[in-house]
Amino acid sequence: MRSGELRKYGRVVAAAFEMSLRQMALDGFILFTVLVQPLIIALMALWMLRERGGDYAIFVVVGSGMTGLWSSLLFISGNSINWERWTGTLETLVGLPTPMPVIIFGKNLANVAQSLSSMMAGYFLAALLFGYPLRVEQPLLFLVSLAFTVVSFVSFGLIIAPVFVINPGVQGWQNAMEFPVYMLSGFLFPIALLPGWTTPLSYLLAPYWAARALHATSSGGATLAEVAFCWAMMLLFSLVYLFVSSRLFRLMIRKARADATLGMQ
Amino acid sequence: MNTIEVRHLRRVYRTTIGVLRRQTKEVVAVDDISFDVRPGELFGLLGPNGAGKTTTVKMLTTLLIPTDGTARVLGYDVVKQAEAIRPRIGFIFGGERGLYWRLSGIDNLRYFASLYHVDPAVARERIPYLLELVGLADRGQEKFEGYSRGMKQRLHIARTLLHDPEVLFLDEPTIGLDPVGARELRLVIRNLQAENKTILLTTHYMFEADALCQRIAVIDHGRIVALDTPEGLKHHVQDLSVIELEVFGVPPEVLDRLRALSFVDTLSVENREQKQALLIHSPRGSEAVPDLLAALNGLRVGRVLVREPTLEDAYVRLVGGRA
Repeated sequence: MRSGELRKYGRVVAAAFEMSLRQMALDGFILFTVLVQPLIIALMALWMLRERGGDYAIFVVVGSGMTGLWSSLLFISGNSINWERWTGTLETLVGLPTPMPVIIFGKNLANVAQSLSSMMAGYFLAALLFGYPLRVEQPLLFLVSLAFTVVSFVSFGLIIAPVFVINPGVQGWQNAMEFPVYMLSGFLFPIALLPGWTTPLSYLLAPYWAARALHATSSGGATLAEVAFCWAMMLLFSLVYLFVSSRLFRLMIRKARADATLGMQ
Repeated sequence: MNTIEVRHLRRVYRTTIGVLRRQTKEVVAVDDISFDVRPGELFGLLGPNGAGKTTTVKMLTTLLIPTDGTARVLGYDVVKQAEAIRPRIGFIFGGERGLYWRLSGIDNLRYFASLYHVDPAVARERIPYLLELVGLADRGQEKFEGYSRGMKQRLHIARTLLHDPEVLFLDEPTIGLDPVGARELRLVIRNLQAENKTILLTTHYMFEADALCQRIAVIDHGRIVALDTPEGLKHHVQDLSVIELEVFGVPPEVLDRLRALSFVDTLSVENREQKQALLIHSPRGSEAVPDLLAALNGLRVGRVLVREPTLEDAYVRLVGGRA
């Protein structure tokens, strides 16, 4: 890709990012998914685990924040193309010179960035309401892990969105996909507590590697090699997701142009 | 080279009906149409609802893949070279959707300027110019959801001009607008034509096509039934007069009886509150009135008018009185 194109697409990503943030800031469902639900989960977890003391609080804060990240990815990024269809803008977007994945990438980035606020909200809840002394043990590694998490979640969103358009039947399972990923990814408790046969499933999920890196660096005690392995897995999955999503987008648009479903509500 | 070249274009929609015994139903929306649009021309596609106008525009704007035939815009194939066409065209579809309701008019234009790859410096100058052009200069800061239907349509026009496209596809741009709003929008379209843009306009308003278009293709049931200048189309009814009969509560069997008369070419009915206007095309002109009144068989008749045919009458004749 030439630098001129990169600049053009960069501007599109920035515009889609800003536009999505403005729209989301006014949407009650999104605010609930991103802020209220993770806070409820954090509140319950902190209450249940209060006997374990303050050391465990950072695990809960990071874990509940990740539940917000996954829920918003599933419900908001997953619906990002269908939302354009419901708004009546999908036809216009497909007819533009900008490839659709670039626009959806900007929207997903805004969604994931906004979802990180649920982690912040959980942090303040634990610190202010429960009075836990919260400390991220390896802040630099934590921030790098957070950056890889954002990349892998945005890439994952680029797969979910076209799949929900190509096969609306899959979207019917949206609710059922929320909690299993919380558990399989080890957001709120280690996957060692789950039956052994579920472990390979966890390894196939980028959110698992994200949770492992974020938990390890926030709670402390992780070696650079361990965390770097998680980063490499997130990067690998992101590349796989981006490759698959480019094909899915092509298929989705071709199918929609053939079946005349772009303008359907 | 013509700006738009359409050859034997066809589009079939397939739908399935039934749950246990699923059947596939086919609807031919566009059936073997061919036409050309010349550079700088304002070309009209005129037809009743469901005639295939929007389907044709969607194929030409790369949003729909034809079932058969070919179409080229600016020399590029609409299926194989869609990416080359998209930066060079603009399109709007009738109705209020297609922009973001929670954003202001200006924010909508800024966003789409980025998506159309308009340089930010150019966009900063162009957006106020376009808002001025479509008469929204003082309303740009307001949210799109608060706009009237006419304002929304005009903002759509501004949106589609952001990247200064060479070709414009305007699909029923004045549909649902009040007379003043529609007139203002027609003025905008005329100004665009003065800028030498090639425009394909679809409408089912005859006077609009007559006032704006240099050539008109009349489309009905997916087929082009006539293609000519507005004056040329009027020749289709040169041999006929139009007799308007205002009647009260005309039953269907009377309409059938009138249609069966040998000197009645076409008959269409316009509802005007409690009364109906029967528009009858006949080569006999005023001489046919006594026979028509006799055929009405004592039905209450209001005003009777015999006049020369207009373009609308030509259109009604071409689409068989369905307009």
